[in-house]
Amino acid sequence: MTMSLLRSALTVFRKEIVDALRDRRTLVVVLVSSVLLGPLVLLAISALVASFEERAERREVYVAGLEHAPDLQNYFERQTYTVRPAPADFEAMLRASTFADPVVVVPKDYQWALLHGEAPVIEVVSDSANRQAESGSGRIQRLLQGYSRERALLALASRGVSAELLEPMRIQERDLASAQTRATQITGMLPFFVLIAVLYGALNAALDTTAGERERGSLEPLLMNPAQRAALVLGKWAAVACLSMLIAVLSCFSFLPGQWLLRTDTLQAMFQFGLREALLFLAVLLPLAAALSAVLMAVAIRCKSFKEAQANSTVVVLGVSLLPLVTLFNPSGEAAWHLWVPALAQNTLMTRVLKGEELSALQVLVPLLVCVLLSAGGVALVARGLRAAALK
Amino acid sequence: MIEIEHVAKQFVTPKTGGRRSASQPAAQRVVKAVRDVSIRAPDAHITGLLGPNGAGKTTTLRMLAALITPDAGRLSVDGIDVVSRPREALARMGVLSDARGLYPRLSARENIVYFGALHGMQRDAAHARAESLARMLEMTALLDRRTEGFSQGERMKTALARALVHDPPNIVLDEPTNGLDVIATRALRDALRWLRTPEGGGKCIVFSTHIMQEVERLCDSVVVVSQGRAVAQGTVHELLAQTGEQDFEEAFVKLAFANESARGRPEAA
Repeated sequence: MTMSLLRSALTVFRKEIVDALRDRRTLVVVLVSSVLLGPLVLLAISALVASFEERAERREVYVAGLEHAPDLQNYFERQTYTVRPAPADFEAMLRASTFADPVVVVPKDYQWALLHGEAPVIEVVSDSANRQAESGSGRIQRLLQGYSRERALLALASRGVSAELLEPMRIQERDLASAQTRATQITGMLPFFVLIAVLYGALNAALDTTAGERERGSLEPLLMNPAQRAALVLGKWAAVACLSMLIAVLSCFSFLPGQWLLRTDTLQAMFQFGLREALLFLAVLLPLAAALSAVLMAVAIRCKSFKEAQANSTVVVLGVSLLPLVTLFNPSGEAAWHLWVPALAQNTLMTRVLKGEELSALQVLVPLLVCVLLSAGGVALVARGLRAAALK
Repeated sequence: MIEIEHVAKQFVTPKTGGRRSASQPAAQRVVKAVRDVSIRAPDAHITGLLGPNGAGKTTTLRMLAALITPDAGRLSVDGIDVVSRPREALARMGVLSDARGLYPRLSARENIVYFGALHGMQRDAAHARAESLARMLEMTALLDRRTEGFSQGERMKTALARALVHDPPNIVLDEPTNGLDVIATRALRDALRWLRTPEGGGKCIVFSTHIMQEVERLCDSVVVVSQGRAVAQGTVHELLAQTGEQDFEEAFVKLAFANESARGRPEAA
């Protein structure tokens, strides 16, 4: 009895896998959109960070009216900066984001004001909508303040005042975040991409094996086989879950080579996603893949056509995409109930993994229990709806 | 051998009614799709189920295929009760229902072998059977093509081969010639005649139709179904004699519709 059940379930499983893998176009879309998207975003971030770093390393400063301030040029050059004249229409270029450096503007009366003890105004021109220029603005301001302080110190020293007096206290920053925690500011969206990949891995197959089968009119003949209904449902569910898990595995492991492509050492040091992290991700995601498959199938078996099923499954898709956002809107941080909400729980756990924190047994077991319950409920609903579905 | 004794089935939803019972008043929520149908279909015999649209043919055959449970009556296949032992009964039946969807991404062969495997056949046996069925149905050239884009006739042949893959002693076909052209219909008739012969396996064949000529040309006996009742059973000759008609169509109309008034008012639902 159980042998024949297993055999039939295996037959159904094999057929559904073959059927799904032959749906090349869908498969390619899922692979490109879900599996490649994560690494591509990673690459884009890396390119952005690299361009910031490169700009900082180039040590260039653009100055308008350089001829009015030879002493400033001397200071910049002593700081090993290359001084370049700013283009004539730099303001327009900064606004249009075609120029990526802030510009130091020296007024005509700079020397005269300096000699007469009147503080000349030096502008650092940037555009806060121009992110690259903006990121360099702080650096240039610090550079100018350094010159300002140097002049002050020289003036005081010539009058016999100790420079120590100018700094009655010292300020030092101490950042509590570990390198990995800092990295989650950048890599925080990765769990979201992986969740979506798992969802889309299951979506098409879940709809095709239920609503699609109804639409084609192949469900009724299928039910006129002597195979047990449980075998049909289990075989179908196993196939859908397997496809979703396959996408999960591909998606998680795609970050490993994606990581080698990171162009900056800083990001590489911050984004630590090795085999351990990939396996932890999978431990969190595989039960979710099984549960989402069952839930999607239970939703779709009630629908007469693939199209109707797509519309109805939007609720599930939205849930999985929006639930992780709860953490954004909830400033109090992680709450215990987060672990009981599918998708949110997985997002929370994956974020922890990325931060380099340990997962406790409870943190893994609660979402696992939720997934097992969802799977069982979904499969039972599909089994119950199967015969009614065949006839309508 | 298929025996159907006094089965009845009613549906409570208004939606499903239109298709199965056209004569009921629209306001009625209870639709009596099948009131009293009895059929006895012996082996090596083609039994036609003839009736107008909505007479209850499909519902009766769906009860036979264990998709719907009857409210009353008994159905058995080779002595196996369909309601209490549906899987054993299905194992002895090949059913071509009016829904004959195929899997478009699988080849005809894979469609057939899949059902063979679900019937518990070994892969090799299922493949061998698919090939011999393909020869019988003249579809060998189609066998390894994906069913996407098959014509109606090609689909029907594939679905029929799929239903017969486990070499069932009983064959049930629901309006098998729907949408087929003359050539495909003739090929199907030839195949069914051969399946009736001792070389073909001496099958018990039941098929439903609303087309007179099909019954005249093919059936050993006919059951006329109207408004959910089996109103007459016999050979074409017997039914002609019974009604005193020369033309089978006239005889059918007399049996299916005229008998209604003689039989008394249909019971209120």
